[in-house]
Amino acid sequence: MKNKIWGAVLPALLTGLLAVASSAAHADRLDDIKRAGVLRVAAFDSNPPFGFVDPKDNQIIGLDVDYARAVAQSLGVKLEVQPTNPANRIAFLKSGKVDLVFANFTITDERRKEVDFSTPYFASGTQFIAKKGTLKSPDQLNNLRVGADKGTTNEQQVRAKYPNATIVAYDDTPFAFAALRTGNVQAITQDGPKLVALLARVPDKENYEIPSFTISNDYGGVGVPKGETRLLDAVNATLRHLEADGEAAQIYDRWFGPKSAAPLPRLFKIGDPQKSS
Amino acid sequence: MQTWLEPKYFAWLEQGLVVTLMLSVGAGLCATLLGFVLAIARTAQHAAIARAASLYVFAFRNSPLLVQLLFWYFGAAALLPPDWMTWLNTPHAVAWGPIALRWPSFELFAGWLGLTCYTTAFIGEEFRAGMRGVSHAQEQAAAALGMGRYTALRYVILPQALRIATPPLAGQYMNLVKNSSLTMAIGVAELSYMSRQVDTETFKTFQAFGIATVFYVLTIAAIEVALVVWQRSGNRALQRGRA
Repeated sequence: MKNKIWGAVLPALLTGLLAVASSAAHADRLDDIKRAGVLRVAAFDSNPPFGFVDPKDNQIIGLDVDYARAVAQSLGVKLEVQPTNPANRIAFLKSGKVDLVFANFTITDERRKEVDFSTPYFASGTQFIAKKGTLKSPDQLNNLRVGADKGTTNEQQVRAKYPNATIVAYDDTPFAFAALRTGNVQAITQDGPKLVALLARVPDKENYEIPSFTISNDYGGVGVPKGETRLLDAVNATLRHLEADGEAAQIYDRWFGPKSAAPLPRLFKIGDPQKSS
Repeated sequence: MQTWLEPKYFAWLEQGLVVTLMLSVGAGLCATLLGFVLAIARTAQHAAIARAASLYVFAFRNSPLLVQLLFWYFGAAALLPPDWMTWLNTPHAVAWGPIALRWPSFELFAGWLGLTCYTTAFIGEEFRAGMRGVSHAQEQAAAALGMGRYTALRYVILPQALRIATPPLAGQYMNLVKNSSLTMAIGVAELSYMSRQVDTETFKTFQAFGIATVFYVLTIAAIEVALVVWQRSGNRALQRGRA
């Protein structure tokens, strides 16, 4: 019995101690980064165009990496990219293996308990593909048949916001798109970046368009260790500066611009007021 | 686990059950009529008709129902002119006094068509098996009495064939109800589709699929009861020659 209690208490105590120790040791991460001359950043290595390995030189590149490089430049240090995935990016940040996370990191209240987030630098949301000219404004959704993937938040959002829309749920996005092509539905819904990727592979893509509105908004920001306010401020200042001098738009266009493989209109600028989903 | 489903979601499942029943009854009725015709066509003396009928059975019995449903919904739809698709996909209502008929969604239509075509092949074969179960000598005896082929079918062969075919036919109707769950792949909002919707919205997986299972079991049980009732009453009427 006693052992059991100790078995629970001891790790808890240790974690507590470690937490105290780590926050004491890194009282100010910004100074540490400048002293080391290296900004360590976690980014995806297999999630194009956010972060992926360039087959030419095996370096990780992408939208997130470009933003990370800009932050490193403004701090006057070198950038070191650590590959990560959705499962371990928070652990990397909390254990101090990296200083910042740039990994298409959607800001949620749950995650805010674990890490701090910068001002958002990317937004995505529930969007639609329709035949050209059929869907101009969200209100039209009430009169349309909309195809969705079963069980996605997209489907639930359309149902909640446009109760008169007829929603037909399919097993996955290619099925929904087949229904759009045959005319069984007039629009299909998914997250913007996924629709873009889907449309890029369609042979007759000139017949379809992604109307430039979202009906929900997910914001992605830079993950910053909890309590590192100076580092957070530095990141935020850099992001705002990037928007002000147009570099943010350039970075976006490089990956999502009209000439990119997956064009997606830029509906959100850094510093824009955030719409509640 | 402790909490029960909200009435709203229970209503969703009930709606799903209604669609499942409508679809099954609609497809079952049409498949029975067509299956009957198919069985007679397969035994037709005209070789071309018999061959066409066996070709139908060959095509529809030898491919999976899911593929057939996808074919009707996605494949056949792609061949139709766009104007037709627009018409099929817009609701049309015909008011006829107090009765208003509404053209069903294309999902429901394609599901009904697919199920009917598929089930026709099976029901037709059950009918044919019933007809073969009647001794050939009876046909010859009927002919000796001067009955034509169709008179013999009507008064001698079919009443007996129907009795032989009744239990396997009930089995086909049970299969039809269960097969109707496959139409969820083409977006028909029947019971299985609705149970999945309820599951993804409430995360009450056990309740959602549990209730759907109970609904299916009860529906099939009702067919079993109908079979027993029919065998006790309707069959006697048949035997007395009142069919």
